[in-house]
Amino acid sequence: MRNHKCLRCVVAFVLIGVPVLAKAQFQAPTDEELKMTADAKAPGAAAVYLNIEEIADDPTHYQTFYARIKVLTEKGKELATVEVPYLKSAFKVTEIKARTIHSDGTVVPLVGKPEDLLIIKSTDREIGRMVFTLPSVEVGCILEYKYQLSYDDNLSSSPMWEIQRPYFVHKAHYMFTPFKAFMPNTRNNNLEATGNYLTDAHGDVINSLLWWHNLPKDAAIKTDLGGHFSLDVVDVPPAPDEEWMPPANSYLYKVFFYYKNAFTAQEFWVHEAKRWSKEVDQFAEVSKALRSAVAGLTAPTDSEIDKAKKLYAAVQALDNTDYSRKKSESELKQLKLKEAKRAEDTWTQKSGTSEDIAMLYLAMARAAGLQAYAMKVVDHDQGIFDVSYMNINQLDDTLVILSIGGNDIVVDPGEKMCPFQTVSWKHASAGGLRQSAKEVGAAVSPEETYTNNSTTRTGDISVDAHGGITGTVQIAMAGQEALRWRQAALQNDETELKKQFDHSLETIMPEGVEGHVDHFAALDQPNEKLVATVTMKGTLGAATSKRLLLPGFLFEARGHQPFVSQENRLESVDMHYGERLTDQVTYHLPAGLTVESAPMATTIPWTGHAAYIVKTAASPGKIIIARTLARAFTLAKPEEYQDLRGFYQKIATADQAQVVLTAAPEAKGN
Amino acid sequence: MATRLSGFPVLAVAAACCMALCGSIPATARDKAQPAPQWALDAAKTPTPATVGDASAVILFDEYLVTVDEQNHAVERQHFAVRILKPQGRKESHCIAESDKDQKLNYFRSWTIAPDGKQFQAMETDFKDAGSYEDRDMQSSDRFRIVNPPGSDPGSVVVCEMEVHLRPYINEEIWQIQYSIPVVDEVLELVLPAGGRFAESWSRITPVKPIEIGPNHLRWEVKDMAALDLENLHATPPEEALAARMSVQWGESAIKGVDNQWRAIGQWGEKLQEHRPDPTPEITAKAMELTAGAPDLYTKLSQITSYIQKNIRYFIVMKGIGGLQSHFSADIFRNRYGDCKDKTTLLISMLQATGVHAYYLHVDSERGTIDPTAPSLIGNHMITAIELPEGNNDQRLVARVKATNGKTLLIFDPTDEVTPVGLIRGQLQGAYGNIFNGADSQVLQMPVLPPDVAGMIRKGTFTLSAEGALTGDIAEGFMGDEAMQERSFIKDNDAKDIHQKLESSLGSDLPGLTFKGYEFHQAEDLDKPLNLDLHFSAANYAHVAGSLLLLRPRVYGSHARSVPDVMEGKPRAYAIELGHPGRWRDSFDIALPEGYKVDETPDPVNVDVGFASYRSLVSAKDNQLHYEREYVVRDVEIPASKAADFRKLENAIFADEKGTAVLKKQ
Repeated sequence: MRNHKCLRCVVAFVLIGVPVLAKAQFQAPTDEELKMTADAKAPGAAAVYLNIEEIADDPTHYQTFYARIKVLTEKGKELATVEVPYLKSAFKVTEIKARTIHSDGTVVPLVGKPEDLLIIKSTDREIGRMVFTLPSVEVGCILEYKYQLSYDDNLSSSPMWEIQRPYFVHKAHYMFTPFKAFMPNTRNNNLEATGNYLTDAHGDVINSLLWWHNLPKDAAIKTDLGGHFSLDVVDVPPAPDEEWMPPANSYLYKVFFYYKNAFTAQEFWVHEAKRWSKEVDQFAEVSKALRSAVAGLTAPTDSEIDKAKKLYAAVQALDNTDYSRKKSESELKQLKLKEAKRAEDTWTQKSGTSEDIAMLYLAMARAAGLQAYAMKVVDHDQGIFDVSYMNINQLDDTLVILSIGGNDIVVDPGEKMCPFQTVSWKHASAGGLRQSAKEVGAAVSPEETYTNNSTTRTGDISVDAHGGITGTVQIAMAGQEALRWRQAALQNDETELKKQFDHSLETIMPEGVEGHVDHFAALDQPNEKLVATVTMKGTLGAATSKRLLLPGFLFEARGHQPFVSQENRLESVDMHYGERLTDQVTYHLPAGLTVESAPMATTIPWTGHAAYIVKTAASPGKIIIARTLARAFTLAKPEEYQDLRGFYQKIATADQAQVVLTAAPEAKGN
Repeated sequence: MATRLSGFPVLAVAAACCMALCGSIPATARDKAQPAPQWALDAAKTPTPATVGDASAVILFDEYLVTVDEQNHAVERQHFAVRILKPQGRKESHCIAESDKDQKLNYFRSWTIAPDGKQFQAMETDFKDAGSYEDRDMQSSDRFRIVNPPGSDPGSVVVCEMEVHLRPYINEEIWQIQYSIPVVDEVLELVLPAGGRFAESWSRITPVKPIEIGPNHLRWEVKDMAALDLENLHATPPEEALAARMSVQWGESAIKGVDNQWRAIGQWGEKLQEHRPDPTPEITAKAMELTAGAPDLYTKLSQITSYIQKNIRYFIVMKGIGGLQSHFSADIFRNRYGDCKDKTTLLISMLQATGVHAYYLHVDSERGTIDPTAPSLIGNHMITAIELPEGNNDQRLVARVKATNGKTLLIFDPTDEVTPVGLIRGQLQGAYGNIFNGADSQVLQMPVLPPDVAGMIRKGTFTLSAEGALTGDIAEGFMGDEAMQERSFIKDNDAKDIHQKLESSLGSDLPGLTFKGYEFHQAEDLDKPLNLDLHFSAANYAHVAGSLLLLRPRVYGSHARSVPDVMEGKPRAYAIELGHPGRWRDSFDIALPEGYKVDETPDPVNVDVGFASYRSLVSAKDNQLHYEREYVVRDVEIPASKAADFRKLENAIFADEKGTAVLKKQ
């Protein structure tokens, strides 16, 4: 009986973005392909894939990749250099063949030797990249190449097909022949009868082949009697590239095959959730030492919520090595410390990763008698949880849910400087697994309300007769912006933080005006508003012989509203979190000038999503302009895009309003 | 760790090349902690000087010992100690050892000494090897061994010691003395074989005399070197052009006298490329085919340079001496790819086939890096110097210099695929290079081109509505560097990206933009201006303010530069980079809406500060508002002493660009 090791992790690392290659034969180009100078299906494209073929044959331990590319512009020549990353201990890159076909039909074969270069090497793995470049490449030519990845007999691998690429694909053919016991029509056979079996990272025997896919409409994976899975796609558009897109994993076309010890998603997640929950409970085991620590941190008379807050403050105060420095294996050894295996270890060492600290909080809350549960969520910045993709590795970070007074309170103890009962936007509305009093299952973390994330910029600006200004601005931040700057302060001293803040001010300060942060308040008090006091000076206004013109909105003079110039949208808009931005600027006017015109009071609603409000108040010697942009939405679907764009266009227009000052008429005598 | 130069640095510049030496090889693995050596303990006792200011870390000790043998092969040992002062200073503690197949790493060890004296030794798991990677088309077999030092917290001292066999074909050590963090003690020792000789050259620092601490054993030491902190400065020359360094050569290259040293380096370089450009019959045939019927030298040169620019793709995997030595022209011609050396080799070869002499010109892609007073192999790019026949006065061949042998040389960069023969891009203008030409090898300054060969003419015709919408067209004509930049933009982007970027550029000046389209003209003809037509409307261009309509006559485009430190009046120690000479002209006509009359226009501007001038004028006639301006830059950089003039110029440009015309409803 042979025990094959499943290369799940290996394949995940090596093959993302590195499609496997083919047994396909080079083919003669058609006259149409040779003469092609542009592609009606991909207008303006620099190159297009005419063909892609990926064949993965697990029983014989190889994967092949074949591509035929038409180069249409100079930029398209970049595809002439091919890089194949691979895990050196498991794979070999062989059978590299390539040729360039000029538009007159001349064939120039690859004769140079591919270069085997290093990407990274550490004590546990070495990743190399095979590099070759095609000869005699010119606009109009066809690039054709193939190569093979082979792996050891005692290994097994399943492919990942990256269907959508940066360039348009005319035709692609994919085929996978799985490990014998998992071939279509032979699945569910008695594994023992095959004399071969696979085990996963936990040592469990794998009994099923599963696949996850996001495919173009009308495309489907087929099986045949020969034991193959296949997929044919045509006219695949290039990967979209738009600002404010959700993580790429949520929209690109692709297929992942993987061997698992489950037959259905439900079965898989039930099994994985139980395993995860058991591991959590083992790590967060309430020990005598933890009980003692908790007793020292809380008083028996404390309410449950007060206990929760005190413990939260205690774990937040620990050294979170994700924001300082993680001790290496050798350092721990030299310090005679060990990697945390239990929450108690983290408490003893007063140091741990975000995950360690979240688990410690879970354990301490339980030690305090609170009902506390773990929730493992996807990092929203990296991906979106998909139940149909049976891989628990898509979950990144741990939250803790406290059940107090019949309510769930979600906290994010691993996110240093995150206030109690607030979570980082990366963990809000994020799918994952959670424990509860009854069971373990899938769940979604609560949405962050936009009112929790506010920035208020209050300016007090003196204007001279030539448009010069001096003044200060108080920037008060709560929620995600405050969290971002406080976390930056953990990794930099205040001098450097001021430099970084000044740098961020450059994007909002009007041209001709400089702003420098003078000091921060409450930088290390996460439950308070973080306030930056900024001094400003420069030339803001434009003077004419009779008038002085000032931008109506001090911080919007650069006109950087998003979406204004993007007419159409392919993918959803993901703005990470909702927020409310309020500006109130007082201009103290120079003597002898009065307000001839000012921004009008305006309300621009996008019902149910956002609102923009402007108010102005002028009095002798000064004018106060207030502007609020409240954005309650985080995500907008493509079908909502025109409404979203219309809203921002109206804002952009309103933001262009100016203050016109004119010389006051001289008082007339009797 | 503040890395130091060892051989030639690899720079990632689009049009740059590859003169790099590097390599690979892992360091010694360790599984049992050893105590830090005495030199490290001594270095760790160095107090932090009061002068470090806001530095995030300070190098306490940085010593290189280069031992040269009878064959002029050298081994270099480095001792390095850095104290981390702030959390962000941790990044300065990651020592790096560079190696490749010709540069073997003998050992690499590191310790951290905590403020309480506790020691941590980096073990094998604390090291990683990474391959060098610039981009897809500029690859290398170089490896970098990097330590992630244990215990590296503020207050601790990280020490590293390493030893490498230097590349056997290089007889030069470039000793970098100044970094972005301060240095307390910087040392170079050179041990020569009996009878061995050396030559030194210093750049950006007053030379220091060596102490002979033993037979043929010299020691140079520089104490308390201030940081070269450019982080918050704008428009400065590159760090490589400002940092203090010394170069020491041994063996045959060690010749006294600046001119002699440059000559020796040139001769060495020429020998390295010997026979590489020899034309094959195929190359000769192609060159003859390209130049058949060419009426003049310019046409002949243009045919050949265009061929190389269009047909020889940039690609290189640098390995060992391949970082310095070109492939043979036959291989380059057959494969139709290569790096800067290769492109120069093929150009020399094809020119040779047609009876034109040309030479390798070793330069750096960053102006100022090569210091004419400090002969060295430093430099990362190879271009071509083409010998012009006596009496040639073709006005199209602008980028010419006179060599000391009396020959006139035309400078041309075949790696730059978008600058025509006759011109060179701004980065090269005013910079120095070393021509490889036997006994006539020398350092040459490349010319600063006159303003009229670069710049842009922009004309716009618009109609303004009473609601403030502006509709119209802009025609832009780019020359010289501007044309080069636009052609690079076209080359590096597909149609969708080009549309988006043009839209974004217009949108930043024109609120409420609807971008209707664009056309490029003459994009392929490098020797002609590149023209671009833009069509758009901007719904919110002018702003209604009661009975007024406010608009900016400068519709599109800006010449204002972002140099905050200079504009804020902070003391400036370094030159201010201007980019390149050129002449830019704008002319806009705006048809005004019925019922409105011009009430006010911005005042005219006319400033000339010698190195640049700017003038603008707004006029109103009938129902038209006319705006015109001319901006001329006459140099590539100015000394810091001209900061006040720079401010005067920029303030004038800034005020003009913000200028508003007021229309009043009648």
